Amino acid sequence: MIRVVLFGLAICWMTPGAVQAHASEQGFVLLLPTDVYITAGVAAVALTVLVLALVPGELAQRMFTPLALWRRGRVAPAHVTSCLSALVVIALVLAGIYGRRDPLSNPLPLSVWIVWWIGMVTVQGLVWNHWRWSNPWTGPAALMVRLTGERAPLRYPAALGHAPGIVGFLAFCGFLLADPAPLDPARLAGIVGGYWLLMLGGLALFGPRWLLRAEAVTMLMRLYGRMAVLGRRRGRLALGLPGWQIAGGPRLPLGAGLFALLLLGGGSFDGLNETFWWLARLGINPLEFPGRSAVVTPTLIGLLGANAALISVFVLCTWVGVRLAGGGVSLITALRAYAPAILPIALGYHIAHYLVSLLVDGQYVLAWLSDPLGRGWDILRLGAYSVSTGFLNTPATVKVIWLTQAGAVVIGHVIAILLAHVLALRLYRHRRQAVLSQLPLAVFMVAFTCFGLWLLASPRGM
Amino acid sequence: MTSTPKPKQSLSRRGALKTLAAGAGAASLPLWARYTHAQTAEPIRVGFQIHRTGIGAAYGRWYGRTTDAAVKVINDGGGINGRMVEIVAEDDGTDPKRGAEVVEKFATQHNCDVGFGTLFSHVVIGSAPRAGELKLPYFVVSEGHHVASGMLNRYTLQPGITDVKSQVQAMAPYVAENLGKKVTMVFPDFAFGHDHRDFFTAAIEAQGGEVLEHIAIPPSETSFTKYFPKIPRETEVLYHVMVGPAVLTFVKELGEFFGPNGPALFGFIDSLEAVDISSPGLEFLEGTYFWEGMPRYAQADQSEHETFYRAAVGVDANGASVSDASDVSTYAHMFGCWETLHVIKAGMEAAGYTGPDDRAALIEAVEAMTDLPESQAHPQGAKLFNGKTHQVFGHQYISKVEGGKMVRVHTTSIEDTLYPDEVDYTTQSF
Repeated sequence: MIRVVLFGLAICWMTPGAVQAHASEQGFVLLLPTDVYITAGVAAVALTVLVLALVPGELAQRMFTPLALWRRGRVAPAHVTSCLSALVVIALVLAGIYGRRDPLSNPLPLSVWIVWWIGMVTVQGLVWNHWRWSNPWTGPAALMVRLTGERAPLRYPAALGHAPGIVGFLAFCGFLLADPAPLDPARLAGIVGGYWLLMLGGLALFGPRWLLRAEAVTMLMRLYGRMAVLGRRRGRLALGLPGWQIAGGPRLPLGAGLFALLLLGGGSFDGLNETFWWLARLGINPLEFPGRSAVVTPTLIGLLGANAALISVFVLCTWVGVRLAGGGVSLITALRAYAPAILPIALGYHIAHYLVSLLVDGQYVLAWLSDPLGRGWDILRLGAYSVSTGFLNTPATVKVIWLTQAGAVVIGHVIAILLAHVLALRLYRHRRQAVLSQLPLAVFMVAFTCFGLWLLASPRGM
Repeated sequence: MTSTPKPKQSLSRRGALKTLAAGAGAASLPLWARYTHAQTAEPIRVGFQIHRTGIGAAYGRWYGRTTDAAVKVINDGGGINGRMVEIVAEDDGTDPKRGAEVVEKFATQHNCDVGFGTLFSHVVIGSAPRAGELKLPYFVVSEGHHVASGMLNRYTLQPGITDVKSQVQAMAPYVAENLGKKVTMVFPDFAFGHDHRDFFTAAIEAQGGEVLEHIAIPPSETSFTKYFPKIPRETEVLYHVMVGPAVLTFVKELGEFFGPNGPALFGFIDSLEAVDISSPGLEFLEGTYFWEGMPRYAQADQSEHETFYRAAVGVDANGASVSDASDVSTYAHMFGCWETLHVIKAGMEAAGYTGPDDRAALIEAVEAMTDLPESQAHPQGAKLFNGKTHQVFGHQYISKVEGGKMVRVHTTSIEDTLYPDEVDYTTQSF
């Protein structure tokens, strides 16, 4: 015991630092006039609020009217592609167990964290709902029904609502943010394989409702899928402003609305937890971050606290809005109506936060694709290519990257405000009521723009 | 070069080695025999504790590239004792607790012969006790003083990179003689900065100089203008070792404060490792001096060994990646991986290393090393290994920024870097 204490003291006090976190991208960001950019971004969002209050309501509604494209022909059967997706998951899990130990050479962490969490989630939110074809559960479940002739024997307990999925998503965020080694191939193999089997079992037992209430990834993908520019409308493929499917779609159940808030809560804490500001709250020297294992508990508490704070502020704003508008609409109805307006903000954060990871770690994905078995192949003809982070050490490219991130945050908020406006017009008969009801949320969104841009500009210590 | 640990092959490498060359090792074998043996024997497994994620990731990338290049050179030359070297890379997340787990995996799951490659001090300090318990030779590349200070154990060695204490003290003679004897130090207010403060203050006093003012900057600071008025007017040399994201701001504000009439500036390249010295905003560094572990820019008299090393790692004459001129390497530190792997090779060959049973013999063989002449194995320069303190000592370089490049103006002697032993690990049992 004494040894453990002494060892702890040694870590705390005697660490003669070798090389510390170096300047790189963050250093150049600190040289940018980010305060000017932040002011401009916040002004753009505030201006949107002002303009919407003045222009006729139909204008905003018209912005969300999609353009009908061609009638949808036959597409690849979802069950077949889903079965293929399941095979890929199984192969990746095996690679996680038996493949290379280096997480940036092993296809499992690359696929989970870069291809799926950054890439596929972004495509789902920006482009179209591919999860219908790419999810690894519906196909195998249909196959099992076909082989056994048995339908799901149990009914999903209605009392559970969306709770299992919400807990699942919080657990996912906890793993992503607090686990000391979320990229470790073997550890990830256990989690991905176990989760896949567990959810397949749930689906087999309780039927499709399981995926909509208890499977966090499908819940996340369905929500983001409603943000996509491509969607179905009256049997046709349609293209519209991000959020058009929400503007014209059904109101969310309360549980799904809560899930949408958690997407933003988890996303914004995954950014805050890296800042000098947060590390100062924990009493940690930001130039000498002691490693994730030293902050597991504070990170989990912070994650839950950030979500609780976000939900509280959102409920408060909605409640004040309902009061301002005066009568006719219950708080629950308003919450269900407005919650999806958070989705564009969450998606904007997701893109901004992971852009640099995508640019850096995406190169490892390419390197793996070019030589998947580690045999020295060069399928993609990358030549003597090495993963480079030079663009993070060059002021011009750092500026472009920062402004792209800031753009994602600002555009997300502008769309959120437009969307909230349209949703308010659907909720209230009179335009004045709609504007008043939306006002507190709009103020919140302007403030959140400021917070989001501040996060991007803040020095980070992790 | 990363690879999957495979189950032990049934072929007895011990038997094979005995047949081929008893004791002295396969290095003396003709090439064809080395080759055929290398095809059949189990590889030497080097557990590479790499900072893939966390605050060390930028260094990890270059440590990885250098390690891959060194292993290729060693394997192309017949491997170690005729056996190929296989790198088993595990991410430690730049996290001490995780680091200890990784060391344990090397010893118990991956059948590694040695552990290698750790850079960040807190990970070394967190991992070394586990390496000692598991009796896994642990070769760190950290430049921290923790090895030579005696706080670690007999299984932990640092034979490929010098430590910060020797680096700092070796700067004092040149600074006192050429830049000035009245020094003001600006450093971040935590262990890293305190090391510089303590080691350099003592060293400059030994040269007849003095430190007029110690200016400790809180680590979370991102603007520095308010600290500059504390710099005494009679300061001849400003010694700075700022690190972290705000270091570019520091340089910019320092330039704005002093203009062209400031004191001589002396810094450690750690501040700007992997940053292009000719970046906009860093113009003020022109004419200032830096410690470099190994000169980033190819010098006019670059040795053939360094030329070979640069080409093998894929670094151009400006210290950047040959595949992307904007990707500046961590040149002042990463040679440590190359040299450490060559020390492991020399140690294993001297010990006739055949497997984990010979780990103690490997450590004794490395402890017995003294002079490591400049060579392809030691492109940074000649070195002197101290078997008692498990720490290597070597030349340090001082470069001046001229025309946006760093030009070497001084090479210290190895004697300048020496200090009295603080530990004798050889007295500890295995």
